[in-house]
Amino acid sequence: MSEQIREQISAFLDGELPNTESELLLKRLTRDPELRESFGRYALIGEAVRGTSRAYLSKGFPGRVNLAIDGEPVPANANPARRTAPRWWRPFAGVAVAAGVAAVAVVGIQHRSVAPNLRAGAVVTAQNLTAQNVSPAAQSIAAPIREAISYTVPATSSSPPKILPAGRLTNYVFAHSRYSSGLDQRGVLADMLIEAEDQSQPAAAPTAP
Amino acid sequence: MIRRMSHRAGWLIPCAVVGTFLAVAPQRSRGADDPREWLMKMNQALSTRNYDGTFFHISEGRVETMRIVHRVRAGHVTERLQSLDGSGREFVRNNDELTCYLPDQHTILVEPKPDQGPFLGSLPQFGAGVDEFYRIESLPDTRVLGRAAHVIAVNPKDQFRFGYRLWLDEKTAMPLKTQLCDSQGQVIEQILFARLDMPDTIADSELTPAVRTDGMRWVRQGPSHDSASAALSAYRASELPPGFHLTVQGAQTIGGATVPASHLVYSDGLATVSVFVEAQPETPAPGGADAASAAPPADAPMEGLARVGSGYAFSTVVQGHQVTAVGEVPAQTVEFIAHSVKSGAAELPHH
Repeated sequence: MSEQIREQISAFLDGELPNTESELLLKRLTRDPELRESFGRYALIGEAVRGTSRAYLSKGFPGRVNLAIDGEPVPANANPARRTAPRWWRPFAGVAVAAGVAAVAVVGIQHRSVAPNLRAGAVVTAQNLTAQNVSPAAQSIAAPIREAISYTVPATSSSPPKILPAGRLTNYVFAHSRYSSGLDQRGVLADMLIEAEDQSQPAAAPTAP
Repeated sequence: MIRRMSHRAGWLIPCAVVGTFLAVAPQRSRGADDPREWLMKMNQALSTRNYDGTFFHISEGRVETMRIVHRVRAGHVTERLQSLDGSGREFVRNNDELTCYLPDQHTILVEPKPDQGPFLGSLPQFGAGVDEFYRIESLPDTRVLGRAAHVIAVNPKDQFRFGYRLWLDEKTAMPLKTQLCDSQGQVIEQILFARLDMPDTIADSELTPAVRTDGMRWVRQGPSHDSASAALSAYRASELPPGFHLTVQGAQTIGGATVPASHLVYSDGLATVSVFVEAQPETPAPGGADAASAAPPADAPMEGLARVGSGYAFSTVVQGHQVTAVGEVPAQTVEFIAHSVKSGAAELPHH
């Protein structure tokens, strides 16, 4: 990936790329799957370094990011805090060092496809739970402890995520999409447009158009 | 028959009425930076304006480029959502009928117009009740797509729901960038516009799917006014995560099913979870349900958790019935709700 493209992506993610250049970048991304992949990594890492993912950067993080993005080792004299650093490094400048945390955070984002195992003892931290808005069972727990309550999902809960038939799930998701609220709905539909790895077809009874 | 919870009518009603609802909510600052006002403006812009944009959909580092075209003409809403990468998949919404073109699977799915009510998902509600489970705040302004943007965070207060960050165009309140985040603030999914135009008129040709439909299989989901059997209709969630309540109950024939499933919709005002209850196949698969084995028949029992886009689905068998919960919520929320479904459960209070 050229330095120019790298800077364009960074400027775009920072909202600073002019419209005309944004459209050119968009066209390039639409045509180039590898560039899209790199863009996706940038976006992930960008969120981490902007602090929106509550990640902190270790001193060696930029080098690892470079390797993660396109296999390029970071130049020996690269210093993320220097004003002469490439544009895409700018977000790194001045960020506190917390060794190891950043790598964990990024890995954490990348592996979100593994469902969090939170079914046991998931903590409810809502501060203002009111009796009329919780289920009877939750009320009974919430009543004595208002600040932090917990519950345990019945032990029959299954373990790791399994592959449910994609075709049937597509049908459920499609039926559900009508009731998704606003932004969620757009996300649901966008998700359905993405070509799934499992190509099994929606369970169907053919009908005339 | 789909039945809405009448005391939750605000969930269904248009923007203007939601505005009225907010007017009687506890008084709060309504200055130019009031995030609720911005969210209302966003709702209004999304549902009433013409727009044509191209955006990146980013999830788990995977990027898809998509185009959305939305036209409102004489009260008639037409929307087209198109994948620009590879698959060629498209959605076209014509008022309340939603059609999904899946050329890679030679299939077209049609979700027919419901028997009543508007397109339910079009307007998220940010009423006062949402405050109990989400913290809504303005963040420092910034720029997106070269435009000044007002940033709003809708943070979940617990682990049962996701939150949002929204970058709204200062001039139009259109979302230029949105992020779906978990309770730890980690970004799950991001939509980032690369181009967004708001033309006065949009030609029909821009809303016509590019997919060639010759030889494709049409699948029409059953109408939502099907009636579920009395046995299915008796199923309800006996426990719910805080804030969730039943908003819709009805029946619908899903995909290749032969009888309608009971369809329950639970919501906390922003997040929604659908629960489908279906009669289990009469002849269980021999040797038990092994999800790892070869593809099961379409009506084989399902067990387990699956990631579906930014949300989750959880399926289990309860009292001989297949129960599947689907929603843009964390895994434990769909699991919790699905596990609590039982026949004859008392209707939970909802407000």
